[in-house]
Amino acid sequence: MRKPWQPQQPRSWWLRNPAYRRYMLREATALPLLLYTLLLLAGIVQFSRGEAAFATWLSWLQTPAGLLLQGIALAAALLHAVTWVALVPKILVIDSDRLRIDPRHVLRAHQLGALAGNLGLVGATLWLLWPAGGA
Amino acid sequence: MSDTIELAVTRYRPEQDTQPWEQRYTVPCSDDMSVLDALNYIKDALDPSLSHRWSCRMAICGSCGVMVNGEPKLSCKTFLRDYREAGVLEVRALDNLPVERDLVADISGVVEHIEAVKPWLIRHSEAPVDTAHSQTPAQMARYHAFSQCINCALCYAACPQFGRNPAFLGPAALTLAQRYNLDSRDEGSSERMPWLNAEEGVWSCTFVGYCSEVCPKDVDPASAINRGKVASDINYGVNLFRLLRGKGDA
Repeated sequence: MRKPWQPQQPRSWWLRNPAYRRYMLREATALPLLLYTLLLLAGIVQFSRGEAAFATWLSWLQTPAGLLLQGIALAAALLHAVTWVALVPKILVIDSDRLRIDPRHVLRAHQLGALAGNLGLVGATLWLLWPAGGA
Repeated sequence: MSDTIELAVTRYRPEQDTQPWEQRYTVPCSDDMSVLDALNYIKDALDPSLSHRWSCRMAICGSCGVMVNGEPKLSCKTFLRDYREAGVLEVRALDNLPVERDLVADISGVVEHIEAVKPWLIRHSEAPVDTAHSQTPAQMARYHAFSQCINCALCYAACPQFGRNPAFLGPAALTLAQRYNLDSRDEGSSERMPWLNAEEGVWSCTFVGYCSEVCPKDVDPASAINRGKVASDINYGVNLFRLLRGKGDA
């Protein structure tokens, strides 16, 4: 008579293997980004409450805790972007009788797009702030 | 250099055991010995009660999958020489599957998932037998890697989503669905799309990607499944459009 052993997935399955740990780190990048979003939301709320409240929020950003949160959020955003863009050629495969694009070009286009978007954002921010800061 | 190596084999004998346990064997170790050779040595010379599954010895039958030091491997394609430094080799049945006995995992659930997606060429009408369905090399290249699957189930042992929910169709079945959907000779994608679109289909995959790392035939199931998500999105849009025009699903 058959009596198969039914294995149960342990809660610690993701600690068993480096590939699972990398995956969980990639997915966990969402958590610092959630905290950073809440931080920005708090900024908007403080802004609506007046200049003094907003100044307090701005000064909190420069405390060690504020800087740590922003640093972790930046690292998480970068890790998320790099790992996501690296997966793109596996998902976005353009290959039909009418049109075929080399997967390396798809990857390069995404990398260049991400770079251009980020540089554009930094450039636009500097351009907007420069007269106020420099004058 | 040691000429023996220790194997810690997870045993399970349904007649006597209530749960798996570990038994250690010392086997000869040479550069040309595979883990399968070591298991056969145990079976032949040390302990005839050990059960393991194997057939071709050349990574094509897909029978001899086991966990070696926690990684899903074909035992015929995994060599003792690569584990000399580790000293002990832990061998157990494939993860995420019921264990029938010792190293024999029950893959019948996986086979049912594979059958469900109709992994064969579907034609609306059969062509006369004296002609062939022509296909260009470029058309074949679109699915060729996905057609290399040997149904060894290593990808299922690697997939934590399948471990969590055995109803998930899983890497090999969804890859084979893509393999036939991408075949220019096939006309059956409308019969497979409901499986891709289902809760147990492509959307249960969270792109862990380990299935592609362990695949002994470089099939890249993670890519096939996630391309299946693109196909499922397009299918959703097309079906919505057809619904508005009063037609059935594509």
